[in-house]
Amino acid sequence: MEKVLEIKELAVSFKTFFGEVEAVRGISFDVGRKETVAIVGESGCGKSVTANSIMQLLPMPPAFYKGGQILFNGQDIIKKTEKEMQDIRGNKISMVFQDPMTSLNPTMRVGKQIVEGIIKHQHLNREEAEKKAIEMLDLVSVPQPEKRVKQFPHEFSGGMRQRVMIALAMVSNPQLLIADEPTTALDVTVQAQILELMKELQDKMDMSIILITHDLGIVADMSDKVVVMYAGQILEQGLTDEIFANPSHPYTRKLLASVPRLDMDRNESLHSIEGTPPDLYIPPKGCPFYDRCDNAMKICKDHMPDKSHHSNSHYSHCWLHHELAKSDTEGSK
Amino acid sequence: MVEPLISARNIKKHFDVGVGMLKAVDGISFDIYPGETFGLVGESGCGKSTAGRTIIRLYEPTDGELYFNGKNVYKLSRHEMQEVRRNFQMIFQDPYASLNPRMTVEEIVGEPLDIHKAYKSQKQRHERIIELLELVGLSEEHANRFPHEFSGGQRQRVGIARALALNPKFIVCDEPISALDVSIQAQVVNLLKDLQKRLGLTYLFIAHDLSMVRYISDRVGVMYLGHMMELANSEELYENPIHPYTRALLSAIPIPDPEIQRNRHRIMLEGDVPSPINPKEGCRFVDRCPYAVQKCREVTPEFEEISEKHFTACHRAGEIMRGTAKTTK
Repeated sequence: MEKVLEIKELAVSFKTFFGEVEAVRGISFDVGRKETVAIVGESGCGKSVTANSIMQLLPMPPAFYKGGQILFNGQDIIKKTEKEMQDIRGNKISMVFQDPMTSLNPTMRVGKQIVEGIIKHQHLNREEAEKKAIEMLDLVSVPQPEKRVKQFPHEFSGGMRQRVMIALAMVSNPQLLIADEPTTALDVTVQAQILELMKELQDKMDMSIILITHDLGIVADMSDKVVVMYAGQILEQGLTDEIFANPSHPYTRKLLASVPRLDMDRNESLHSIEGTPPDLYIPPKGCPFYDRCDNAMKICKDHMPDKSHHSNSHYSHCWLHHELAKSDTEGSK
Repeated sequence: MVEPLISARNIKKHFDVGVGMLKAVDGISFDIYPGETFGLVGESGCGKSTAGRTIIRLYEPTDGELYFNGKNVYKLSRHEMQEVRRNFQMIFQDPYASLNPRMTVEEIVGEPLDIHKAYKSQKQRHERIIELLELVGLSEEHANRFPHEFSGGQRQRVGIARALALNPKFIVCDEPISALDVSIQAQVVNLLKDLQKRLGLTYLFIAHDLSMVRYISDRVGVMYLGHMMELANSEELYENPIHPYTRALLSAIPIPDPEIQRNRHRIMLEGDVPSPINPKEGCRFVDRCPYAVQKCREVTPEFEEISEKHFTACHRAGEIMRGTAKTTK
């Protein structure tokens, strides 16, 4: 498969008063053409920092790239100047944010906000741009687009605002769409509409999607590939079917077991993960999940395990899968 | 036959918003039995939180009756209310906003004890606070800390300890886990279930996460725009939903299993929830309902029992149940 985006050993840190926070610590994954990659993890695991660093939207300072590469169509984004970046951001790579309530300008008519983007990126004149704005709203199934372009964001419901955000992102036929919790603020019936819309547009426009979410149901629904992040690292990665059918890292397994499912017996108890993720001021030397893992062993504390491959596309970082550990997988603390 | 602990009859809560009446809760009735968890679900703006608050009289009701142990709570005087209020507690959604940042955990958990003078000596007060903290999985060392020193899950535990301080019988949990991470949600839900078993608590569990509600609740009510649409045992509701809204709501939840999810048929609803200001006569769901007929626009359907302990408010419930209903869109 043709690769649109390759992230290699990316590390991003923040300089703060108390010291350096290592938010992302050497992650690698790639996104193929028309592929949807889901990044899952808890708050603070670095999933949004990853997304924002692809778009170069992190405030620098305090943030800085510590290492690694972000290759978009083979070119390293990190080395681009702000000017070059403006050609990519919102044009070839677009982003949809979590909160449709705050990401539109409340004092500006919706049409004008879309027109602004069109003029900036497509060099059309105002009249053509206004026509295009109506087309875009129509594309994302906003009813009566001619009337809607003249309205302000507060006249739109949450779901409709998110459609406007998607229309904004779609203006320039991006190759890659980064959706950071696109439906978290929405109701389930509206969420279903938006997810369906995203799938449709992906098909129509040959677009790749990076989907950041904590909802495993959405992951199962939307993605081809899953990246499981924890404390700034990738603990497991694989095709969606592999991750759900055969989760191999204890964290992934616990994450899957901690959500109730509609088809689950009510007397089964939920598996909670005790404790909280580690502090990234002083990231642990070994496996970051050590403190919360039932299978933790002595070696986990001081040494981060290498990749163990379960198939060509599926790997995890866990000592349980080390070839010397294979005979005794029941670790103990 | 077990007597219900809480009986809500035709509860209404309207707000005057200037341009009209916002009918947040518009005549809902149900019973909650001792020791059970009653789940209340619906989308934002459907009135579920208002219902929860009106039930324990945090909001003065516009109309209706609420019986607790046979007494109509809405008729009580301020003084009598304070006595009864010991039995009602609430756990709030946002563990960041519901704890006073300037109070220590000991002060927060001790506040209900102070108000109701529920101790004889300072020593007894302190011991009770420690006991409560231990009950929710915290310990004595946490007593002198401030809320900002805790994670979201721990704060929610402090909120639960405060709710338990006066040995209540009934707790309204208003989206207690929505603000937490998945792995932490499970901790809090397991704690709530465990406390219910140990202390014989009765919960009204308000949430929009339907899979979590199914898991925790014995019976579930579905609300839409201030009306109760359907009510049944949770197994029954999730396996045989009747009301078109319940059906759409359930089919919209993504199941965390790619194989099931890919082959599921999803009922797509059109549009958004309409405004609850000056709602029209008739079924509230009519504009989005695939089964809507003329009658639905004219007459508000009664909330009726259509099979044993399964209530719904839909003119076409019978046809839908027999599978003979045809869509009109």
